[in-house]
Amino acid sequence: MKEPAREPSRELSPVARRERLLVREVEDELVVYDLESHRAHSLSRAAALIWRHCDGRTTVAELAALLHRELDAAPDETVVWMALRRLGKAHLLRDPVTVPSQAVSCSRRELTRRMAVLGGLAFVSSILVPEPVQAQSACRPDGAACISSTQCCSGCCRLIGSGLECRPGAGGCV
Amino acid sequence: METLDRLGWAAGIGFVAYGKRIGIRVSTPDVLARLPAHLPPEVRPVDSPIVDRLYSLRVGEIHGARRVRHLHLLYAGAMRLARTRGLDDVLAVLEDDIQLYLAESARSRLFVHAGVVGWRGRAIVLPGHSFSGKTTLVATLVRAGATYYSDEYAVFDRQGRVHPYARPLSLRAGPGGPPRRCSAEELGGVAGDRPLPVGLIAWSEYRPGEEWRPRSLHPGQGVLALLAHTVSARRRPAATLATLEQAASGASVLKGFRGEAAHAAAAILSSMGDCGTTSR
Repeated sequence: MKEPAREPSRELSPVARRERLLVREVEDELVVYDLESHRAHSLSRAAALIWRHCDGRTTVAELAALLHRELDAAPDETVVWMALRRLGKAHLLRDPVTVPSQAVSCSRRELTRRMAVLGGLAFVSSILVPEPVQAQSACRPDGAACISSTQCCSGCCRLIGSGLECRPGAGGCV
Repeated sequence: METLDRLGWAAGIGFVAYGKRIGIRVSTPDVLARLPAHLPPEVRPVDSPIVDRLYSLRVGEIHGARRVRHLHLLYAGAMRLARTRGLDDVLAVLEDDIQLYLAESARSRLFVHAGVVGWRGRAIVLPGHSFSGKTTLVATLVRAGATYYSDEYAVFDRQGRVHPYARPLSLRAGPGGPPRRCSAEELGGVAGDRPLPVGLIAWSEYRPGEEWRPRSLHPGQGVLALLAHTVSARRRPAATLATLEQAASGASVLKGFRGEAAHAAAAILSSMGDCGTTSR
């Protein structure tokens, strides 16, 4: 007989992922570059503080107390859970965090208000870092070599002979 | 490559740009005169036959009684870049590829796809993809008195300062229309000649009828805005982050949609009112 799944508690001590990451401080925030996924994340001051203390020993309750002490925020575990969820989605924690149902007891409006105190909802902003050709400028004319249709002025990159070229028209575009 | 070498080349040029040596050989000497307009803004001619990248441009000649013109061919090393009927098209591909090569491989500078103007001793950096209205906004800012730096790349040094990449602006007559080259002077402005620290990163995108009501972003999000348009970011992530951190620290960061460029330009310059210490 299986035991019922236990919800994570305030005693949870999350662990930050540190491997294959480049981390830079930008004023009081952090920018993290994930060398595995080529995603980059900007962590707000609050998210950076929480992530730095995800050492496997500091509990959610202690993280909330830390936010209160360092950022003069209300000692609010809900906000910590929200930040942990975002950090988990960004693969910045060893294991993703499931927010316990009782942890988010306030309304969305109230949650927004509490987060605004900590610099808004953008705890973690993320982008996919482009390939060189994606960061390239102008579109390519017909006859130019290409690897995807987005590079072509005609909107179509197709196989011509043994290579891909920008060509007008629809169909067969890659 | 040996096959290409055997074709016979009538003339060529060599130059250094951003620490990279580039050679271009052509099958018809006449075409050499058209090349300078398609080279990066800061190039130094060299005679050395040793280059980091060699382009081969074979101009399609007219053959036979039916006067059939062969296609123009462009290679980088042994790789074919283009096979086109129009010489303008093949030169556009050449220009595009030289820029991308330099942006990707230059060691001393970081290339971010962005428009740049100077205003009161600070740079306004406008990151954006093609067709996001970047050049139009740069041209409008120059007409409003800002100093022209670039409509293509923000070129950063390791201290995070922006250097001029002042090739003529590439203005389109209308949506999908052919680009027309236009100097800063033709717009009534001047081009910058010294590096500037970044005062504002304005991440905008054109949307008809939209009013420029940007939201303010954190400096870390400013780094992301630049990183999303950095050519060599994947190749040199550590150096890229270090430079962009320098660039974004102390800069304001705005993001939003804009309608007409004139309104956005006025608002952007107004938001820079307190930045910097010197006049433009």
